[in-house]
Amino acid sequence: MSRERVRISNRVLIADDDPVIRCLVASVVTNEGCVAVEAKDGREAFQILQSNADFKAAVFDMSMPCLSGIDLIRYMRTEKRLQRIPVMMITAEQDLKLMSASFSAGATAFLPKTFTRELLQNALRMLLRTPTRTPVAA
Amino acid sequence: MQNQITVNQVTITRAILEHRSSSSQIGTEEIDLSGLTSLAELKSIGEPDLVVELIDLYLKDGPERIQKIKTAAARADATDLRQAAHTLKGSSASLGFHQISEICEQLERLDWRDSHHRLDALTELLQYKFTRLREVLLDLRRSRLANNNR
Repeated sequence: MSRERVRISNRVLIADDDPVIRCLVASVVTNEGCVAVEAKDGREAFQILQSNADFKAAVFDMSMPCLSGIDLIRYMRTEKRLQRIPVMMITAEQDLKLMSASFSAGATAFLPKTFTRELLQNALRMLLRTPTRTPVAA
Repeated sequence: MQNQITVNQVTITRAILEHRSSSSQIGTEEIDLSGLTSLAELKSIGEPDLVVELIDLYLKDGPERIQKIKTAAARADATDLRQAAHTLKGSSASLGFHQISEICEQLERLDWRDSHHRLDALTELLQYKFTRLREVLLDLRRSRLANNNR
């Protein structure tokens, strides 16, 4: 029986309309030895995902123009090639109901936006080590 | 009703002036840069200073968001106003600029159709706080660039 070697991607898709948050998340992603692929809003992330599923994880802002983070997760969960990608949702909203809504849509982790570098780093490490989509509250 | 508005205007104006007065006494000490400077640890050798990069992005994006808030307020566009305030709230909070984040939070939650004067006051306060923060950030930027070049 031949063993097929599965290539594990080290790319992380980051979608946020805020350039400051994108830069911050991308820095942590790079620091963890991964390659950050940035999208400036939900539509751009959607376009990237349509043509490319080679991602180890994804980090989405919940509230973005065009397509929200939850819209993106719902789309990913309907596409077999994207279903395996763990997604962390980040949001500046304080409403805990949004955490529940994120998990219901299929998010793997949830991080409120008043995060410190350590919190973001730890949440991302958890996400990158997630073999399956098991919900994790950061 | 007119008296009520006048009282509110006076109250809000006084609040801003008192805030300015106490802020100027405190000087720059009230602006906590520890959240931003702690991000310097993420810098890799040979890469640009992340703190400088974040300052540049924030100082480019922040005024655009504030302008969007003002334009949306003038157009009475609640959706655009909330979106701009929401975004500025997120980046400000993540860099540790909690005063600006809190003002944005208030703007985001404001039922401003009933509170035009409060909207004006909050927008003015936001502009004022951002201008002060900008000065401090530019100082920090200069200082980091000077240290990096040594």
